[in-house]
Amino acid sequence: MTGQPMSSWIRAGLAAAATSIFLAAVGLIERFRDLNLVGEEVTFAGLVMAVVPFGVGYVLARPRIERGERREVPLPRAALVGAVAGIAAGLGFGAAAVAVDAFGVDRVRAVFLNVTEGLIELVTFGLPPVAGAGVLAVMSGALGALGGAYRRSPERWRRPLGTAVVAVLVLGFLQRIVPIALDQLNLERDWLYSRRTGGLTWPGAALAAVVAVLASVVKARLAERWRDLADRGGSEGAEPFGGLRLRTALFVAGLIGVAALPQVVGSVVSEVLGTVMVFALLGLGLNIVVGYAGLLDLGYVFFFATGAYTLALLTGATLNTFTGQAEPALSAELGFYLAIPIVIALAAATGLLIGAPVLRLRGDYLALVTLGLGEMVTVLVKSPWLTPLVGGPNGMRNVTDAALFGFGFRSPQHFYYLGLAFVLLALVVSHRLAASRIGRAWTAMREDEQIADAMGVNVVRYKLLAFAMGGAIGSLGGALFAVKIGSLTPASFEVIVSIQVLGLVILGGLGSLPGVVVGALVLVGLPGLLREFEEYRFLAYGAALVGIMALRPQGLVPNVRRMRELREEERAQDAWARASIAQEREDEEEYEEPPVEPAGGELRP
Amino acid sequence: MSEDRIALEVVGLTKTFGGLAALNGLDLRVREREIVSVIGPNGAGKSTLFNVITGLYEPDEGDVRLAGRSIVGLKPHQIVRLGIARTFQSVKLFPNMTILENAMVGQHCRSRAGVLGAIVRTPAVRREEARIRERARAALAFFGPRLVGYREEQPAFVLSYANRRRLEMARALATEPSVLLLDEPTAGMNPRETLEMRDNIVRMRDELGLTVLVIEHDMRVVKGVSDRVVACDYGRKIAEGSYEEVAHDEQVIEAYLGRRAVG
Repeated sequence: MTGQPMSSWIRAGLAAAATSIFLAAVGLIERFRDLNLVGEEVTFAGLVMAVVPFGVGYVLARPRIERGERREVPLPRAALVGAVAGIAAGLGFGAAAVAVDAFGVDRVRAVFLNVTEGLIELVTFGLPPVAGAGVLAVMSGALGALGGAYRRSPERWRRPLGTAVVAVLVLGFLQRIVPIALDQLNLERDWLYSRRTGGLTWPGAALAAVVAVLASVVKARLAERWRDLADRGGSEGAEPFGGLRLRTALFVAGLIGVAALPQVVGSVVSEVLGTVMVFALLGLGLNIVVGYAGLLDLGYVFFFATGAYTLALLTGATLNTFTGQAEPALSAELGFYLAIPIVIALAAATGLLIGAPVLRLRGDYLALVTLGLGEMVTVLVKSPWLTPLVGGPNGMRNVTDAALFGFGFRSPQHFYYLGLAFVLLALVVSHRLAASRIGRAWTAMREDEQIADAMGVNVVRYKLLAFAMGGAIGSLGGALFAVKIGSLTPASFEVIVSIQVLGLVILGGLGSLPGVVVGALVLVGLPGLLREFEEYRFLAYGAALVGIMALRPQGLVPNVRRMRELREEERAQDAWARASIAQEREDEEEYEEPPVEPAGGELRP
Repeated sequence: MSEDRIALEVVGLTKTFGGLAALNGLDLRVREREIVSVIGPNGAGKSTLFNVITGLYEPDEGDVRLAGRSIVGLKPHQIVRLGIARTFQSVKLFPNMTILENAMVGQHCRSRAGVLGAIVRTPAVRREEARIRERARAALAFFGPRLVGYREEQPAFVLSYANRRRLEMARALATEPSVLLLDEPTAGMNPRETLEMRDNIVRMRDELGLTVLVIEHDMRVVKGVSDRVVACDYGRKIAEGSYEEVAHDEQVIEAYLGRRAVG
């Protein structure tokens, strides 16, 4: 009954130390020593150093399942475990710093570029390394104890506290965006963000924390009331939060918010949102292929390129040459809105073209072959054969700005609306397809191809249809991308785009439409907003994907409908059970005694 | 029951797997609204017969005719559309789809909404969708209260074993077949469930007017449902007739109990 032995705490602490060393070695600590989040005291570097020991304490204090029973770790013990693990983490991390210092920073730096004098100084608090490592261990221990204690503190404390800390940190990270938005709205900003440090001011942070605590408490209260109402009143008449009227009001408010967003957040953020829209369109398309039909397509960038280049050619873009520009070998001068249907049709045809040869492949093999097809995109675009058409490595320029009645969509704040319109369209199309017999056929096929066939689903047709529909929606992403950028080069169509899109679809939750949007916001929007982290983008991608696979394979936003209905379902189940007991009894009488018949003749199966 | 129109006819069907003949010139005729049981020891070729009839395998020789029309060479989904539905010996559902959705997939071959229709949601498509739903529900209701009500919206994997079998049958019924092939419909069921299933098979003929070909090992079920029994061994028909006739047939008994050692 003692739980895990001490050695396992230390092991966890050393794992945390390894994490810290890794983060330090890739430069996530030293490079951000001046990224102030709150005042000058809370920097991103400090946050990274603190989060690791805190986290290990938090994780170690989680309840355990022992012999089928859930055991909470008692609070003092949680703090002790956290402290031990934290000290181990600090000692490990500090020892590494001491070792590097003794070995010579420059020699280590020859391999690990981010290991600098400054890093060692930062990690050891400017003290002599051994003394610094000691301080680090003590502080880590304290943080670990704090993490363990926090995990075991009562929920009514933990929730508001956690919300407050997260809210302050998020505001701190949004220091490039929120102040601009405040400026745009002609609001005073200096009380919240310091112009000198860049981050939040302490009074601003305190205010944010108080607001977050209040919001968290109010939310908990409302949820409690909702539960009471539901338990008391049964399913009908128990509309929480004032019911339909409030929901309509919220919906309208959300609509206005979405519509006004680019005006509020300014052109930098609008630019990022535009990229999010492009990737959301790609994600929605790929979601049909992978999420609905279960065909793992790694060559999805094909449709991105098809959409972009087709639109460029149809709307009279020109080729870049060394001397200036030239007319493509084949082009048209259509308007954007005339060209789009053709783009869609062509992309759908491309989908059939790609789908046909890989029809018989499944799973890994399909992924491999489509990966190859994706790799072909840049090869094709750069090839001398297609250069007269798409400009080869030099690319194209003068893509239409999709002007509607003289109103162009090139500028980020305008593009936002074009993107929004197409994303909404793609959402509606995806949703309706999923809810139709076509969506059911796809799902059945994903679950078991052979059985779907045996139940009347023409598997070949529906596979091709998935490729075609996925391609059509993805090509819209490409077309919008062309409009947004105004010029095209092969570098935009590397196979990594496929991986990014697949990543956001998986992160959000396969087959989930809100999931795609959230996935695009998280994987495309966040790195775009936090420019400092640009270099760490793929590190974050990898971490996010591994994390999601380990912790939440169904994605960030899985099928929420079911979760929400769970409670109602339970009540319905009770009612149904009562009603059917009588029926069961009748059955019972009818079949109670299976008459034992002599097996016919001598035959005994 | 003695209508003489042939619903399903199998002529000289042969299917070999690497030299092993799973079916060896099998002949079989099933009249309309007739329940025929196929019995035989393991490896007698019963399931292979079903797989060939439903187009999962192509026969090496012989012909399968549905209402006089040859269906050899057609794809499984085309055969379902022509009116042959089946269940599988090891229950094969779409486990993550809801119970209603499973049955609605059965209606797929009886509906035709295309991409544009589904996106625009024309009135015709909406009517069709309502009809799909209604017929799927009707198919589920065939098995009483077990698959209806709140259960409709549950994923199929939550069902008990017997209910999975029922759902698989409901899905087959939802394809609106004329001929239903049931592969060991009572395998793994307890005695009560087995007897209920026996009654259900009879109801399929009497209430739905189906022609049923059933592979079954439980002799009480075979006795209870069969208009005719066909016994197979080594891919050939070794006996045919009423339950009593087949059950007392020397060859059948030998096939089940083993042959006398050859001296």
